[in-house]
Amino acid sequence: MTDVGRHPRIELMTLSEVVDVQGYIGNFRVKVLRKARYVDEKECTACGDCLEDCPVTKPNEFDLGLSTRKAIYQPFPQAVPAAFALNMEECLGNNPIACGKCLEKCEKECIDYDMQDKEVEIKVGTIIVATGMDVYDPTELDEFGYTRFENVVTSLEFERLINAGGPTEGHLIRPTDWQLPKRVAFIQCIGSRSEKRGNPYCSNVCCMNTIKDSLLIKNHWPEVEIKVFYMDIRAFGKGFEDLYKRSKAEGVMYIRGIPGDIREDQETKNLFLLAEDSNTGKVMEHEVDMVILSIGLIPSTENSLIRQLLTLSRTSDGFFMEAHPKLQPVDAPTKGVFFAGCAESPKDIKDSVTQASASASRANILMSAGKFTVEAITSLINEELCKACGLCARVCPYHAIEFDKEKKLPARVIEASCAGCGTCGAECAFDAVVMRHFTDQQILGQVEAILEENPQDKVVVFACNWCSYAGADYAGVSRLQYPPSIRIIRTMCSGRVDEKFVLHAFKLGAPIVLVSGCHFADCHYINANRWTQKRVEKLWDKLEKKGIRPERLQLEWISAAEGLKFAKVMKEMEELRQGVTLEEIDYTRKEL
Amino acid sequence: MAEEANFKCLRCGHQFKAPFSPKDEPQERACPECGSNSVRRIKEKAKKK
Amino acid sequence: MAIERSESDELRIGVFICYCGLNISGTVDCEAVAEYAQGLKDVVAASTNRYTCSEPGQQEIKNDIKEHNLNRVVVASCSPRMHEPTFRVACQEVGLNPYLLEMVNLREHCSWVHMHEPEKATEKAKEMVKMGVARARFLQPQIEKEVPVDRSTMVIGGGIAGIQASLDLANAGYQVYLVEKKPSIGGVMAQIDKTFPTMDCSI
Ligand code: SF4
Ligand SMILES: [Zn+2]
Repeated sequence: MTDVGRHPRIELMTLSEVVDVQGYIGNFRVKVLRKARYVDEKECTACGDCLEDCPVTKPNEFDLGLSTRKAIYQPFPQAVPAAFALNMEECLGNNPIACGKCLEKCEKECIDYDMQDKEVEIKVGTIIVATGMDVYDPTELDEFGYTRFENVVTSLEFERLINAGGPTEGHLIRPTDWQLPKRVAFIQCIGSRSEKRGNPYCSNVCCMNTIKDSLLIKNHWPEVEIKVFYMDIRAFGKGFEDLYKRSKAEGVMYIRGIPGDIREDQETKNLFLLAEDSNTGKVMEHEVDMVILSIGLIPSTENSLIRQLLTLSRTSDGFFMEAHPKLQPVDAPTKGVFFAGCAESPKDIKDSVTQASASASRANILMSAGKFTVEAITSLINEELCKACGLCARVCPYHAIEFDKEKKLPARVIEASCAGCGTCGAECAFDAVVMRHFTDQQILGQVEAILEENPQDKVVVFACNWCSYAGADYAGVSRLQYPPSIRIIRTMCSGRVDEKFVLHAFKLGAPIVLVSGCHFADCHYINANRWTQKRVEKLWDKLEKKGIRPERLQLEWISAAEGLKFAKVMKEMEELRQGVTLEEIDYTRKEL
Repeated sequence: MAEEANFKCLRCGHQFKAPFSPKDEPQERACPECGSNSVRRIKEKAKKK
Repeated sequence: MAIERSESDELRIGVFICYCGLNISGTVDCEAVAEYAQGLKDVVAASTNRYTCSEPGQQEIKNDIKEHNLNRVVVASCSPRMHEPTFRVACQEVGLNPYLLEMVNLREHCSWVHMHEPEKATEKAKEMVKMGVARARFLQPQIEKEVPVDRSTMVIGGGIAGIQASLDLANAGYQVYLVEKKPSIGGVMAQIDKTFPTMDCSI
């Protein structure tokens, strides 16, 4: 950790948040908000003189509130940078009448109440997202009594309790009487592997963490009786099974079954766990002095902003989705962005470090090449056809189209900013926008090929490259079966699907047309699929006016991870198709 | 009071009310019955006599 | 830069149907699809291959491009999300602009999802190839733009993963900006006592 603080090529920005990202691979412009520390980071030696007189006492977040700190503080002794920080919201005030005590104490005069938050813009070639995770809050699982019973703690709180640098200086105590607990119970899978409450996934680290904790206790206090209540113990990593065996050999009892309920004895504050051992089928009550809930990991709350700024997606578990689960596990779908650590999925330290090195190496490949070729799928304006209406400039999510209202000159595309979603191409009423590699002709050609013979038997599906087409791929990889009437046309974004593609399909006799794209939160082109929805809504009105059932045009948001949904929707499409009569199709052909 | 509008699912036919205001950003919608995103807002027809 | 051949008026399309071992050919009658493709307008060569993405498979595409003077290539195999880059390079190597390649996703979108209906899957595969050929007719050569990549990184988050990535890249010679919300780096890892499997200190 200290290496980071010392490294000449690492600029460490603490108390800082990314607030905006512009640009593209190789050329990101990131705005970082540097919150004021009110202490000169370079000058402060963390001598601690300022602490003595600070009258404010607050719970220490680092010890999860198990200890206290002042309004001016160092988060933990080994902190990097090794400088204090002042929490202005807690500080009594920068006016010397109110307080100002620390200012007087600091001989080096590092404290500056007038320091301001600063926004800086940084240009970088690559971005590594290592936003980590949060831990599950077990309060909602009322049966375990967390927050109702003081002697029920989470595994992270327990870490602080047995940490030599923690609030108890490493003495194992239980919260109610500060005595060494004689009997300790761990309960596994808290907030993990449950369809009903918490999260359905396995949090990966909790089993090993408990095994480790049990060994730590046994090393220092061999007399403590330890019971671990579990569903399965997952000790698959290198050296893990060994630790598990050691823990068992040390006398730790592993009981297969999660207690249904915890009671507290009002007097002794001891806890009673009622659990069925599924190996023996026996229901037993266990009396212990302290319970440790082995809590799972959840996606970091920070992820949602980062996701928007970098146009990333999430898998159903809420963690970030990689470009490909097997072949590009550290690449984000957005080029030039990579994942490290728990941002992508729950991981232990070794896996986090491994993935971090992998992402560093992926970023290195780009940067050492020093250049990157952009796919030639951007938009072009045909100046002869352009009527300078400015619609394209308005709909472009990237502001990649320049248009001068006054001069009424043809619009112009800034190629490096254009991401190629095709929204402008779909919206332009004069066909003045040419989407390179996804032209009207190319797509209409596909529509015609589908409907040349027996159009009544087919379903025309427009699928966006990133989500629904990838979802279809995923359905394939998972061998999910759906009816063979489905014909898929790929576009980069559902925003590319021009009204005329849909109408042309109906004109040629398509019974059902489906437009599918990414969920709103996942759109790979910022918000281009909002235009998809608007366009489909307009089309519904249009069809209805012409006496064509709007139900024949369907809309669906399917993510890359939703292979199941894709297959299900395709089956529904086939059912709808069977409900379309030949008369209807004939009528539509004449009407359009 | 939040404004509401009538919606109809073009997959299963289910009709329902949901918060809606023309001023809002477009939202992702799903049918509460079948989960489909083919959800259409039923515009109030100009009052008939 | 590759020679642009596509400007000629006459379309010469080559279609390559991949067996993908048994992944496609187990369900779809690939030979029948190739025969059908041969009959499509503007198609001058259609063939099958056990693994089109393999070295010999790619060589066959290259040979055919030269031999038949192809100016459009349709590869009917797996998802373009998988192998489009592979085949684009193959085309480029023999002077065909990579944007004159079209892929048809027979594996993910046909053989794997209609495993119990081989006849219908074969019919669908034919039509998918027809769609690919239809699109290929209108493909145009494109020139890719190169953008410079700045030799610097921003790492968002100063936990163990962010720290490791920062050190690796800084040691490789790049400028690194490490952004952390809290007053200190270290993340959750710093809160943990001993860590498994080595049972040593976390910091
Ligand atoms: S294709 Fe999309 S990103 Fe490119 S100019 Fe058009 S609207 Fe903007
Ligand atoms: Zn419905």
